[in-house]
Amino acid sequence: MNELGIQPFFILSAFLFVCGVVCIASKRNAIGVLMGVELVLNAANINLVAFARFNPAFRLDGQVFALMVIVLAAAEAAVALAIILNFYNNHATVDVDSADELKG
Amino acid sequence: MFDVPGRIYVVATLLPLAAFVVLLIAGATRSFYRPFRKQGGFAGSMYWICGGDKPLKTGAYLATGCMAVAAALGVYGLVSFLADPSEGSIRASRWAERIDWVRIGPLDTSSPPEWERQRAADTTRATPRLALALELGYKIDHLTAVVFAMVTVISTLIFIFSIGYMKDEAHETYEDHLVHERVGKVGEHHGDGHDSHSAAAHHGYHRRGRFGRFFLYLSLFCFSMLNLVIADNLFQVFVSWELVGVCSFFLIGFYYERPSASAAANKAFIVNRIGDAGFLIGIVLAWSYCGTLNIEELTRRVRSPDRDSHNTYELANQVIRVNATPVVGDAIPEYELPPIEEAGTGTHVLLFPLAWPDPTHFHGPGYGKHKDKSFEVPAKRDYLSYGVMPYALFVLMGIGIFLGCMGKSAQVPLQTWLPDAMEGPTPVSALIHAATMVAAGVYLVGRCYPLFAPEVLLFIAYIGAITLFISATIALVQTDIKRILAYSTCSQLGFMMLALGVGGWIAGLLHLITHAFFKALLFLCSGSVIHGCHHEQDIRKMGGLWRKMPVTAFTMLVGVLAISGAPFLSGWYSKEQILSAAMGYGLEHKRHILLLVLPFLTAGLTAYYMFRLWFLTFVGKTRDTHLAEKVHESPWVMTGPLVLLAVFSVGVAWGWPFWDAEASYLGHVLKESQPAFVAVQFAAEHHEAEHRHLTAGALALLLAVSGAWLAWWFFGWRQPAESEMYRPGGPGYRFLYGKWYFDELYDTTIVNPTVMLATVAAAADKAPTDKTAPPYVTLPTLDGILNAMAELFVVVGRSLRAVQTGRIRTYALTLALTAVAVLGILTALAK
Repeated sequence: MNELGIQPFFILSAFLFVCGVVCIASKRNAIGVLMGVELVLNAANINLVAFARFNPAFRLDGQVFALMVIVLAAAEAAVALAIILNFYNNHATVDVDSADELKG
Repeated sequence: MFDVPGRIYVVATLLPLAAFVVLLIAGATRSFYRPFRKQGGFAGSMYWICGGDKPLKTGAYLATGCMAVAAALGVYGLVSFLADPSEGSIRASRWAERIDWVRIGPLDTSSPPEWERQRAADTTRATPRLALALELGYKIDHLTAVVFAMVTVISTLIFIFSIGYMKDEAHETYEDHLVHERVGKVGEHHGDGHDSHSAAAHHGYHRRGRFGRFFLYLSLFCFSMLNLVIADNLFQVFVSWELVGVCSFFLIGFYYERPSASAAANKAFIVNRIGDAGFLIGIVLAWSYCGTLNIEELTRRVRSPDRDSHNTYELANQVIRVNATPVVGDAIPEYELPPIEEAGTGTHVLLFPLAWPDPTHFHGPGYGKHKDKSFEVPAKRDYLSYGVMPYALFVLMGIGIFLGCMGKSAQVPLQTWLPDAMEGPTPVSALIHAATMVAAGVYLVGRCYPLFAPEVLLFIAYIGAITLFISATIALVQTDIKRILAYSTCSQLGFMMLALGVGGWIAGLLHLITHAFFKALLFLCSGSVIHGCHHEQDIRKMGGLWRKMPVTAFTMLVGVLAISGAPFLSGWYSKEQILSAAMGYGLEHKRHILLLVLPFLTAGLTAYYMFRLWFLTFVGKTRDTHLAEKVHESPWVMTGPLVLLAVFSVGVAWGWPFWDAEASYLGHVLKESQPAFVAVQFAAEHHEAEHRHLTAGALALLLAVSGAWLAWWFFGWRQPAESEMYRPGGPGYRFLYGKWYFDELYDTTIVNPTVMLATVAAAADKAPTDKTAPPYVTLPTLDGILNAMAELFVVVGRSLRAVQTGRIRTYALTLALTAVAVLGILTALAK
């Protein structure tokens, strides 16, 4: 298993990250944006776990960080979904482009 | 209490303060509970107890009672001080005390053991302080005791007089016609002013009477004045000095609804600040070089001791000047006496130790066999070693202290406030602006006399001579009864300053006391006249009043005779001494002959203008018929003090034999506290004065009689017609009537440029709101610059707000791109 190396993990993580960012930037549906955020977080998680595997100095910390990110993602999703629900109640839509009340 | 009889004076000083505090609290309580006056209960009754709607007279009686007790204590203190048989240090400890108020340096506990030993051995001196402290203290000597008794007695009489004079203020509403007249003059024309009263009778400005407030201010004034008199250090003097200044301000502006009164109050306060700035400079110089503000210690620091431990000293009580000697390296700087033929010159003044390292054996500086000729001055100052002070700064210190006195005592060029101060009620003019506060300047010069270099004394003499002459010439032509007296006060204060400057220490301070009595008398008489004539002050309208108000007329005649120097009245003794001192000085120093000519000339002028005042007011027939009908004599509460003051004006300076001006008992009492050096420094002048004093007296009398005769000829015998008096005079007359145009000069040189500068500053600060303003206000203003900066930020912000689209996708993209860009930059930098 060791012959696989760390690069494929980086590539996968970068791919996932870019997918996430593109998703955030292009989706008009708020749920879709939220999914993009999940992708970005998980890209980071892959990085962390990969470091935990390949860097002895990072063995335990990487795992703990990853767990932390999962918990954080859950919390963030809860808050974001509550916001979206509220937004839907007020505007009858989840289109993020129509949410421009904070325009300068 | 009884083993320190000096505390009588502390009690007497605090009594008026107690009256002040009670009146203040009562007034504040009354105002506080005023909203509840219609309700009953505690709040409502507090309002009625503390005064209610109508001003209570109780406060005035309380203040007068406190002042009367203070006067009794003052006189008792004077008698027991004079009768005190103790001598030297025991006497000093019985009549002086001092405590630390604010201590800046460490206490004596950190002093070296050697010092403790010496202090234990040296019981003859007051304990010198090792560290700096602001102190409170009092010191009673003959001068203080006499001045204290004078102030309290005159104050009491004036308080009593005020109860009568200010009785209009005790009404629920007081009608101030002058406020109306000033406002009315813009709209309606009163002609020559004859009928102004009938027009204004029903339209005066109405307000509540301020009976209590008047006595409140007077009490505070008396406390401050008494505190000034008993103070033993310059700091305490300065505090009281400012307090009397502010009381003067309050009382000049007592009728503050009148624009002229509030302007006069401001003028008095501001002009006095100019003098006080100088005073402060003097105090700071004394503090930083001598390390103490106690006047007695300052004297011991700058003047050599009476005697050394061998009881011989040829340079006793001198200001000793020394020269610096060249110093090599870090050695302690040394100073030495100049060669004996150049004695009295030198760049520095030697400051003496307050205690000698060995009190039983010391020599002090001098040219004798065992004397010290050179001195080490350690960098760290203490009171066991010599110090030095540059002579220029020593002179500056004296001039600075005298500047304060010039402001308070209204000496040229700071005299302009005193005549305007007559806007205040007449008892105030009598008490503050004639008898006591303005004399405080003279008193302080007398107190700080040992701190003045010969140059400063000459300066004082010239200022006094110029003042006495200028003020007397102005008084010749004035027509307002109080203004004549105001200029006469300036002039008499000039006499006192002149006397002090030419070495007549006793003469100057004796005149202070006698002048206080007869000038208070004159002012109260003028107050009685004004009261009787229903606030008419123009002597051109009066005349023949002696039939209507005989007591006022004859007591005033006593005052006029006293101030003119009629023999055997109090003014004669003091003025004769002043003139002979001036004559002695003028003949001894021919270059300063002006100091002889001016006072003699002015003695004649004084008699002329005072008799002119008296004849115009009381003799002949009343020129304003309207006035003649309503004139009446004042009630006994006003004439009683007049009679008492007249008695004092006659006899306060008497001695035995009374035909000898030098035999004045008061003069002998004052001589006890004359600084010791005066007799040495002015020995030749005093000798000359002694020699000439009959000549001086005869000449002064001759001039006074001719002045009085001229006044009688013009105004008593050859009664001028009314029209003649309103005729405009020639240029000389107008020059004098315009008070030498001092006010105009100051307006042109100081006031107007200042106002102009302020206008320019205001214009530079603020965008113009007045479109008709002169062109310079359209220059770029500070307001404009600041507004332009604010405008810039508004423009930048407006353009930046476009970035905030409010779209979450834009933000995310921007975030991502920024992250990429930052990573790219970091990567590029890492290579």
